[in-house]
Amino acid sequence: MVNKFLIHAKEDYVGVATDDIRKDETVEGTYMDTNQKTSLKAIEDVSLGHKIALRDIKKGEKIIEYGEPVGQATKDIKKGEHVHVHNIKTMRW
Amino acid sequence: MTTFRGYERENGRVGTRNHVLIIPLDDLSNSVTMAVENNIYGTRAIPHPYGRLQFGRDLDLTFKTLSGMGRNPNVASAVVVGIEDQWTQKIADSIAETGKRVEAVSIEGNGDLKTIEKASRIARDMVKESSDKRRKEFDVSNLVVSTKCGESDTTSGLASNPTVGVVFDRLVDEGATVIFGETSELTGAESYVARKCATPELRQKFQKIFDDYQKDVTKEGADLLGSQPTKGNIKGGLSTIEEKAYGNIQKAGTKPILGVLDYAEEPKVKGLNYMNTSSAAAEAVTLFSAAGAVVHLFTTGQGNIVGNPIEPVVKTTANPKTYKSMTEHFDLDLSGLLNFEYDLKEAGNRLYNVMVKTASGTLTANEILKHYEFAITKLYISA
Repeated sequence: MVNKFLIHAKEDYVGVATDDIRKDETVEGTYMDTNQKTSLKAIEDVSLGHKIALRDIKKGEKIIEYGEPVGQATKDIKKGEHVHVHNIKTMRW
Repeated sequence: MTTFRGYERENGRVGTRNHVLIIPLDDLSNSVTMAVENNIYGTRAIPHPYGRLQFGRDLDLTFKTLSGMGRNPNVASAVVVGIEDQWTQKIADSIAETGKRVEAVSIEGNGDLKTIEKASRIARDMVKESSDKRRKEFDVSNLVVSTKCGESDTTSGLASNPTVGVVFDRLVDEGATVIFGETSELTGAESYVARKCATPELRQKFQKIFDDYQKDVTKEGADLLGSQPTKGNIKGGLSTIEEKAYGNIQKAGTKPILGVLDYAEEPKVKGLNYMNTSSAAAEAVTLFSAAGAVVHLFTTGQGNIVGNPIEPVVKTTANPKTYKSMTEHFDLDLSGLLNFEYDLKEAGNRLYNVMVKTASGTLTANEILKHYEFAITKLYISA
């Protein structure tokens, strides 16, 4: 299995792709704080630098990255989905 | 405990460089300082467009920046050149507090040519004296290290910024002083930064700096918030201003903030310090160098190439394309972190080692390419 994403902190709901991830690809990720591995199946394409959901996230739930809330879900997000401006937004405005 | 080889100054501070600095008090004095730099080996002039008819806080900051550059332990001695003698002497007096040699020369009543000769002769003697100084071994706790990122992309938040964070944590554990800034870029993570402040007083001080900045933005009718993250950021994968801010703040590491500093203010405590700075690269690095920082760690995504006249700027990126296309600007390639060639801890070791070598005299890419950006932060219009 190819290591294709990194996760900043163990609390995080999202990982960040270090290479382009294809739909239906099963990929491995590494936690940067603990070096632990995890794996999941991508249910859509996720480009390099973009985020992938590590778990199901309900609409309105906060998105945790860097161990901190960085936005909230504007719709339900499934594990393995691309997480970006189409399904999360800032909590500021 | 790690050591480096630095220059001990008269006040006990330790420098990583041994410059003879030629400081123009004002725009009118730039020509003289550049002529001296041209005449005398081993001198460096820092021309700039300000110093006349400024007032209040803005004037104070310009003079604090100029004297701060002279006070920095990377400077062995300095010549201050000004159009009139009173203010010139003020800057020289502030530099003299450090115990190092400083001379003031003024142009009014003399003209450029006589002033160039006088300043060149002084600088000639200063270079002779400074070249006689030798590096000695010092504990890293003597270092003041600053950081800033520029032209960031997702590789910054993912790899190069957390790597600086690892180095900052280690430096704090080893008793050094480290400084981060970039007030505007903290927007979205300001409550996290406030929580990191060690005392309620520091938290209040930080909050006031942040609120004042927000007021300035509103006063100008600008909407920085609505434009963040930028279209380029979004294309790269950043979704929210909070996410962008947390990517930035990784550079600060995980230690509590023990000092909150105004523009160009010298840190009073060791450990992690925050300084109010612009997020424009040259302005921020200038403010850090004026506060006495002796090595800078700069991360970039798309390839910011900033340097500084007296503070060596260690430049790194984790973006393999940027590293390959702009290799001459970099001191360290961190793209291996994204290829899983090594982990964050190892990346931290690599950057730390480059930092220690730089502190001991190894030249950085910015020094070799003569990237000596000196940009004074202007707070408002002159009279």
